[in-house]
Amino acid sequence: MGRKILLVEDDRETAAYLAKGLGQEGHSVERATNGQDGLFQATDGTFDLIILDRMLPVLDGISVLKALRAAKVETPVLVLSALASVGDRIEGLESGSDDYLVKPFSFAELLARVNALLRRREARLDPADHRISVGDLEIDPLSRIVRRSGKKLELKPREYLLLEYFARNEGRVVTRTMLLEQVWDYHFDPGTNVIDVHVSRLRRKLEDGFDKPLLHTVRGAGYMLAA
Amino acid sequence: MPTTIRIALLAGVLALLSNLVVLGFIQWRTHDEAVSAQRRQVVEQGAVLADIYRTGGMRALGDGVEDTLAYGDPQTAVGIFNASGREITGNLAAMPRTKGPIRTGYQSALIRFQQQTAPREAAIVAMRLPRGEWLISGRTVGYGLALRDTLERSLLIALLGAVLLGLAGGVIIAQYVGRRVGRIVAVTDRISATDLTRRIPLSGSSDAFDRLSRQINEMLDRISALMEELRMVTDSIAHDLRSPVSRLQSAAHAAAETSDATERDQQLTSVVRQADSLMRILTTVLEISRSEALTSRSQFAWFDVGELGAELSEMYEPVAEEAGTILKFDRPGSPAELFGHRQLIAQAISNLIENAVRYAGQGGEILVRVGRHSGQLEIAVADHGPGIPAERREEALRRFGRLDSSRSEEGAGLGLALATAIAHLHDGKLRLDDNRPGLLATLDLPISRRSAGA
Repeated sequence: MGRKILLVEDDRETAAYLAKGLGQEGHSVERATNGQDGLFQATDGTFDLIILDRMLPVLDGISVLKALRAAKVETPVLVLSALASVGDRIEGLESGSDDYLVKPFSFAELLARVNALLRRREARLDPADHRISVGDLEIDPLSRIVRRSGKKLELKPREYLLLEYFARNEGRVVTRTMLLEQVWDYHFDPGTNVIDVHVSRLRRKLEDGFDKPLLHTVRGAGYMLAA
Repeated sequence: MPTTIRIALLAGVLALLSNLVVLGFIQWRTHDEAVSAQRRQVVEQGAVLADIYRTGGMRALGDGVEDTLAYGDPQTAVGIFNASGREITGNLAAMPRTKGPIRTGYQSALIRFQQQTAPREAAIVAMRLPRGEWLISGRTVGYGLALRDTLERSLLIALLGAVLLGLAGGVIIAQYVGRRVGRIVAVTDRISATDLTRRIPLSGSSDAFDRLSRQINEMLDRISALMEELRMVTDSIAHDLRSPVSRLQSAAHAAAETSDATERDQQLTSVVRQADSLMRILTTVLEISRSEALTSRSQFAWFDVGELGAELSEMYEPVAEEAGTILKFDRPGSPAELFGHRQLIAQAISNLIENAVRYAGQGGEILVRVGRHSGQLEIAVADHGPGIPAERREEALRRFGRLDSSRSEEGAGLGLALATAIAHLHDGKLRLDDNRPGLLATLDLPISRRSAGA
């Protein structure tokens, strides 16, 4: 399931590293080294995802993004930036990007986000039936009722949101930062293990009394829901 | 063209223009004056003759005409004509010619004196006597003409003088301005050559130049302060990053040297953790500077702080429980709306809660409360931990002003400083009080002082 990804990044080393990693994941990567070339290639509209550095020569990332959205190019865009303040992140998201990742980042974090964005595009293209099931776990987003092997699980509202997000990214790694941003909508970096605590509570509710684990910890990256 | 010459020319042109205006005004006024003076004289002379006729009849009038002419004024024109237009007495050769038929009262006409051939312009008063005679009395135009000529000539000379004076004045002004600006330029030149301590001397007259100089001086003060702060921040970052960087270094070395795979894995995990903590410190320092520079005010919006407090309490409640404490949230009765940066306020509150969780200790209780007080929002986080002694609270709010060196490992020394910076961004402040026992940290935020402007 290789996808076409456009990588707009002026730093050669970073670009080579990312292109290699994404290539190993089976994606085909095209590269542009400045904003103008990036915009030109992106307006083709044949990409599944655009990874866009924020600080670029000739035309900066945010301008490229705004130009793309103005030209009705709806390809998902992941913005990479060394600007890490909350205000910068909000600005990046508000200018039409689908996700925002602060440099430096681990490749696992980038990959997790790339996969989530590609998956979202898929889901948008063919709307699946509204029930989500992962192994013997069944989630009904309308009634917010969750059953495992037919047994109803009692989840708090936030636990439900957490589980739904995991389920929509079934089989893919989800990082702590992604959870904080997507489930809680906070864009700062908490100093404590707050996400881990919530995930382990959810895990207890999902797995207590069942043999098969569902919510896996992926070392050095995050978590993954898989049957 | 050098500025001096331009200013001098400008002054000269202005002098010329203003003098032309004055000259035109004088011309217009004196002409007017002359005309009305003449009219007065003519009407008066006519009235005198009419009076004479009324009291003494035709005989007296004839004498009156003789008397009037006896003064010998060359401008005076008097005459009595019979109904057929022949002169009975006076100094006129014929009836005056007027536009249209002659009528009673004041009018202008062309007259001809006896023994003269050229007609002259005159203002006259005509009066019809009972037996059809015409009494004509008037004056030729031209009185004061000579005077006006002299006046005009002297005004022209004055004009020339004024323009010359204007040019000279312009040169003087230009030199003065050049000198004052030169002094400012000299100082800014020296500042460009990196002597930021210099200031432009003020003349004390609080004129435009002084205002400009003061403005520049204030700007320099601000720049100096910012530079000083920057230097301080850079110094403290360099100082405070030294220990985490060296910890990272030694962890990396240890990982490189060990041959046991499991142990190396552990060491590498530690390397990653140390690097993460370094990144967190850097991000927080950046966030503090951003908040202090007030750049994120453009992202302000209205939101309910009560709801945010509830959400964050719910988020941290399990964390507190793991740490052996209970976190409680005291919800305000009504929505507590604030015009501010939701994400940053969330970060400030979570910093306070994290701080409390870290220090509350086993069995303690943490209370998060959102309240309103006369245009102010209060967000309070209270714990029953060891607290901070009164004399050290100020230090605790300062950037890198941590109280115990072990805290720096997690970058927690910056948590309170960031909360303070975020409070400042919202024109508020962070207060630390004694919770008897423990720490009571309160964010005081004015609800919307900036809402109109932002």
